[in-house]
Amino acid sequence: MSSYVNSFMAHLKERNPHEPEFHQAVQEVVESLAVVLERYPEYRSNKILERMVEPERVIMFRVPWMDDQGEIHVNRGYRIEMNSAIGPYKGGLRFHPSVNLGILKFLAFEQVYKNSLTTLPMGGGKGGSDFDPKGKSDNEVMRFCQSFMTELFRHIGPDTDVPAGDIGVGGREIGYLFGQYKRLRNEFTGVLTGKGLNWGGSLIRPEATGYGAVYFAAEMLATRRETLEGKICLVSGSGNVAQYTVEKILQLGGKVVTMSDSNGYIYDEEGIDRKKLDFVMELKNVKRTRIKEYVEKYRNAVYTPLDSKMDSNPLWNHKAHCAFPCATQNEINAKDAQNLLRNGVYVVSEGANMPTTLEGVKLFLDAKILYAPGKAANAGGVATSGLEMAQNSMRLPWTREEVDQRLRMIMKNIHKTCVDVAERFGTPGNYVNGANIGGFLKVADAMMDQGLV
Amino acid sequence: MAEKQYFDPLWIEHGYGTRFQGFQNLMRRRIRDVLLVSSLYDLYLFEEDGRLYELIRNEYQGLHLSHSPELTRVSSGEEAIALAKEEKRFDLIITTLHIEDMTALKLARLTRSSGLNIPIVLLAYDNKELKDLITYHDTSVFDKIFIWQGDFRLIIGIIKHLEDKMNVEHDTMIAGVQSIIVIEDNIRYYSSFLPILYTEILNQSQRLISEGVNMTHRYLRMRARPKILLCTTYEEAWQYFERYEEYILGVISDIDFVREGQPDPRAGLTFAREVKARQSDIPILLQSTNAELEQMARSRGASFLLKESPTYLLELRQFMTQYFSFGDFVFRTPDGREVARATDLRSLERQLHFVPEESIRYHAERNHFSNWLKARTEFWLAHKLRPRKVSDYPSLAALREDLISSLREYRKLQQRGLITDFSKESFDPHTSFARIGGGSLGGKARGLGFVNILINNYNVRNKFAGVEIHVPPAVVLGTDVFDQFLEENNLRTFALSSTDDAEITRRFLQARSFPEGVLGDLAAFLDLIREPLAVRSSSLLEDSQYHPFAGVYETYMIPNNNPDPFQRLSELVSTVKRVYASAFYQSAKDYIKVTSYRLEEEKMAVIIQKMVGTPHGDRFYPDFSGVAKSYNFYPIAPQKQHDGIVLAALGLGKMVVDGGETVRFCPKYPTHLLQLFSPAEALANTQRDFFALDLSSQPIPFTETTDLLLKRYSLADAEADGTLQYVASTYVLEDDVLRDGISRGGVRVVTFAPILRNKIFPLPQILELLVDMGSWGMGTPVEIEFAVSMSVPEGQPKEFGLLQMRPLVLSREMEELNVDDEPREKILCASSQVLGHGIMKDIFDIVCVDPERFDRAKTRDVAMSVMKLNATLVAKGRPYLLIGFGRWGTLDPWLGIPVKWDQISGARAIVETGFKDQEVAPSQGSHFFQNITSFMVSYFTVNTKLPDGYIDWEWLQSQPATEELGVVRHLQFEKPLTVKINGHRNKGIILKPE
Repeated sequence: MSSYVNSFMAHLKERNPHEPEFHQAVQEVVESLAVVLERYPEYRSNKILERMVEPERVIMFRVPWMDDQGEIHVNRGYRIEMNSAIGPYKGGLRFHPSVNLGILKFLAFEQVYKNSLTTLPMGGGKGGSDFDPKGKSDNEVMRFCQSFMTELFRHIGPDTDVPAGDIGVGGREIGYLFGQYKRLRNEFTGVLTGKGLNWGGSLIRPEATGYGAVYFAAEMLATRRETLEGKICLVSGSGNVAQYTVEKILQLGGKVVTMSDSNGYIYDEEGIDRKKLDFVMELKNVKRTRIKEYVEKYRNAVYTPLDSKMDSNPLWNHKAHCAFPCATQNEINAKDAQNLLRNGVYVVSEGANMPTTLEGVKLFLDAKILYAPGKAANAGGVATSGLEMAQNSMRLPWTREEVDQRLRMIMKNIHKTCVDVAERFGTPGNYVNGANIGGFLKVADAMMDQGLV
Repeated sequence: MAEKQYFDPLWIEHGYGTRFQGFQNLMRRRIRDVLLVSSLYDLYLFEEDGRLYELIRNEYQGLHLSHSPELTRVSSGEEAIALAKEEKRFDLIITTLHIEDMTALKLARLTRSSGLNIPIVLLAYDNKELKDLITYHDTSVFDKIFIWQGDFRLIIGIIKHLEDKMNVEHDTMIAGVQSIIVIEDNIRYYSSFLPILYTEILNQSQRLISEGVNMTHRYLRMRARPKILLCTTYEEAWQYFERYEEYILGVISDIDFVREGQPDPRAGLTFAREVKARQSDIPILLQSTNAELEQMARSRGASFLLKESPTYLLELRQFMTQYFSFGDFVFRTPDGREVARATDLRSLERQLHFVPEESIRYHAERNHFSNWLKARTEFWLAHKLRPRKVSDYPSLAALREDLISSLREYRKLQQRGLITDFSKESFDPHTSFARIGGGSLGGKARGLGFVNILINNYNVRNKFAGVEIHVPPAVVLGTDVFDQFLEENNLRTFALSSTDDAEITRRFLQARSFPEGVLGDLAAFLDLIREPLAVRSSSLLEDSQYHPFAGVYETYMIPNNNPDPFQRLSELVSTVKRVYASAFYQSAKDYIKVTSYRLEEEKMAVIIQKMVGTPHGDRFYPDFSGVAKSYNFYPIAPQKQHDGIVLAALGLGKMVVDGGETVRFCPKYPTHLLQLFSPAEALANTQRDFFALDLSSQPIPFTETTDLLLKRYSLADAEADGTLQYVASTYVLEDDVLRDGISRGGVRVVTFAPILRNKIFPLPQILELLVDMGSWGMGTPVEIEFAVSMSVPEGQPKEFGLLQMRPLVLSREMEELNVDDEPREKILCASSQVLGHGIMKDIFDIVCVDPERFDRAKTRDVAMSVMKLNATLVAKGRPYLLIGFGRWGTLDPWLGIPVKWDQISGARAIVETGFKDQEVAPSQGSHFFQNITSFMVSYFTVNTKLPDGYIDWEWLQSQPATEELGVVRHLQFEKPLTVKINGHRNKGIILKPE
């Protein structure tokens, strides 16, 4: 099999020189799919992988704009329409000086599987520009967005390609882009997601990732006929994801004893209840200060500053049932993983992106605990984009409860996909395999069904 | 910067715009260096009364003249000419008849023939010898001849006479300065008369112009005193008269002198007649040794004075007082009855309300008002009043009204922009800036006084609709008060030697004595100002051009709201004492040590300033404040360095000055805010709380050395106070958008969007103007501190208070230096955000923070360790390179290492780099940078995420530490490091020891 991978990769590099990010992303996917390609040669003979790594369409265009001083600037705009086998292209726009074709292809390629895993009808794409919004005035950003959309509008549409935000493209930029699209097309449609609540946006967006990670954990527990009720949970972080993770855990009857920021963490043995969570939210969102202040208000809690000299994070060294790493990359190393296991943790659901190191992941898999990789557990964020599209198509906004309910269903579906696929490929309970292969299979099958296009 | 941009033509026309400058330009040509050529013996004769130079200097001081001339004596003509040629500084040569190697005449001719254009005056002491000289030789080569009669003041008379002659044309034209024509051809006589006349005029003028202005202004006004035009012939006098007819204050003349080349025994009478025919109101005094001529003099409308009268001086004085309007303004009725008397402008205004109409008409018809004003050098008002005729007014009541309002308006104008001496009557609690006590005002007050003048002279005050720009009303305690306080309480020796700040504060506060007169004035001041006060240091050395003692001394704010006036006074005095004490705090002592100054030289003036702001319950604060600089060390395109930078914050300026989170913008590009480019950045990098004065708090305990009355409040408090709306945006989480204003629910973020984007207040425009004007006025880049109160009653202008202006120190040398071609392995550190310029090769030590063990939660401990190592290295005289994380000198210990300047005073080069988890915006904001730039410390901001940002941590970590304190390591090397900076490109490198 490895000879296939090798020659495939060699060919890929030859055809796509100078795109190291893209090469690496493809390599990872191909390696995780080796078992699939082994078992189902039809994917190979139909050149599914070869077709997947070639974008259906790459659009590159000139974005001229004038700054406030009347100087003319020219940036480069991109839209990679990677794969539309299961739905319209869907993926973010990134405005950052580092943007180039290779990076966008890599992001678009990963997006295909992420979207597929949500079980919603969304293809994959990515776009953006090497425009740097840093230091630009609001008017300049607006003029840039308008110029960008003046070309892009002819390539996208609610049933064709639905961009969203990414780095450098937030609510403000989505607004400007949407306004220009609407003006050019004379159509009010759901052509972009991440819109303002008043004009087509969806509820539960900030909450989705955190809620989703908890729903996924609940689904995993359900496989053992358990619930979150009474479970002691370790949560790291105190940003959006962590806050809503805690909120949902509380709603489902769990008990959260930790939260953290980049300086240290608090341990509250009595549990962070709704009132305390509100205090944390005020602290982090409004006052924007340190989690440390929590212990000034709640004296029973203990604050431990982060000590970079230590080879492990003491946050993960408390007796608990579940862990929700929601802070940052690589926050759980091998030592932390061992500590978690020793303390009886048997559910790990990743709210952050890749919070566990490879050694850590291996320990979890070997211990056969319920481990949900971020790819699956934090798909809630991507899923709400799909829900926004759905509401736009229906021209009917859902209530919070409806969106939350849909989110729960989606997480349940993702979970089921993971479990089924893992079982099908002989690694029952291995959510990593389930997620990696699950996303691929759906797209690959759709491509097979639709013939050589 | 072109001057015209700020001059409002209307104001120039009215004389106000140039008023102050006008006076400065008067008496431009002065005699500062006098070359006295005389034999030793002649000198001995001159110096019978004592050392000539000393005498002259004392006299100058007594007359409050600014520059006493320097006297240089030589005894030979050859020497004199050589010296005059070589040094070129002499403005006057005085020669006696006896010099070693030649005659005085020969000296004069030689001087002329060698091309030296210096006035030469012959000073003879023997009448007979002089007569012979004049009889047998042509003495016209001398500018004037005088005869010594034992009064050293003749020298002053000679100098003043020549100065008047040189300046009369210019000064009359520019400011309408008055002249007195004196005709006297007798050398002996004018030699004795001239010094008397000058002394008299100087004394008179001195007395007259002392009202309502300060010392500086008085000095300047002395330059506008009447000039004396000494003539020896009729034609000479008539020429002066014709030329300056409108500006002749009077004539004092002999009767018998040369007319048409012949002695004319009645020339004076003729002159008087001719003058009276042209200008009947010019007073004339004729003098003669012949008493019989009195009748004839009087018949020509002149006064008469007998030269040999035993009461000559008294009579001369009386004449001048009465006719040159040197005395009080005496209101009379047409029949000569005195009805009232005014001594100064204020009482003139007062009397005008009451005197009978006929008296007003009488004086108005004869130009008495404008004459009297002219004698007081109030030319502007005099010229304004003079052309108005009684017939121009519908009624005498209208005339009276106009006179009164003109005077009142003028007095107000006069006060604006000047540092007047404090008096309760004249202090306007809205606009005045006055001083209490003598001595210097110190750097800060000087800057404020100057900017006050700029604002008023260039009509900036109301330039922006709906805004009043001003320097908040204040009094300044001069440095004499500081000296007096230290002396009376015998504190100086103790304060200089003590190292215990708390003890110094305690002793100062308990000091019993406080200068008596000052207390009275302060009480009067407090009677006028009942708003909170800022008490700021203004030391001699502070804000001086090259060493800004920025933030070295303390500033205190006091509520000033106790119902008991005695309590308020006692709180104010305590606060002043605290500021005095801070001159001797350890940080000040450490700071002085690294400058070239000595602590004993330092003196402290104190500014007591009404705070800009509004009370909101128990809080008092301006809606926002900030610092504007005319030079930006870190410009980001499209900004240029000279476009300047502003740091602004909600509430009191402490947030800005101490390096807290602020909004940074360039006034030229107010919508390009780097820190707000994404909502996440905005949330992370903007103000979370603000400073306000707590009006409810108790007096500070004796031992406390910092200001406890300033407290932090949350943005929610500001929202409740209604002040947040001017400066905030709202982050809406659901939409991931930062929206201007606070109309929608969400997280409040201080962005200044309502001002910068929605233009509810012309802050960028005002700052651009002020910073431009300031740097134009000071001739160097400047830094301005400001506070704005938007919370004003409906219909009133918003208040823009200018709290401080000081020069911003920049390095000057800017030649290109190559910093690109060094091999990577030799480089310890590289950056493209560097302050400084040049090469340093004398650093053998590094103090650096260990990147592996550094903990952002423990920056305070790091600061302590750095401080200790600094102390050791300063004591050993070893400059060092300092390397650490985050912003050095920040107020927020989470953003960097919170050192004060004195704690790192020995660092010659500083490196700041981002935290592992967070890039921190460079710390250009604080007071700290003033010090860094003025001490020429090189400052590297290293962003390792940029291609040219680099630190070789591995190498640093591999070097053995000489000493380790916590996570701070001290490395010492045999060979020096090389610091190389190209200031043009802001690029720099530090090379490892070779």
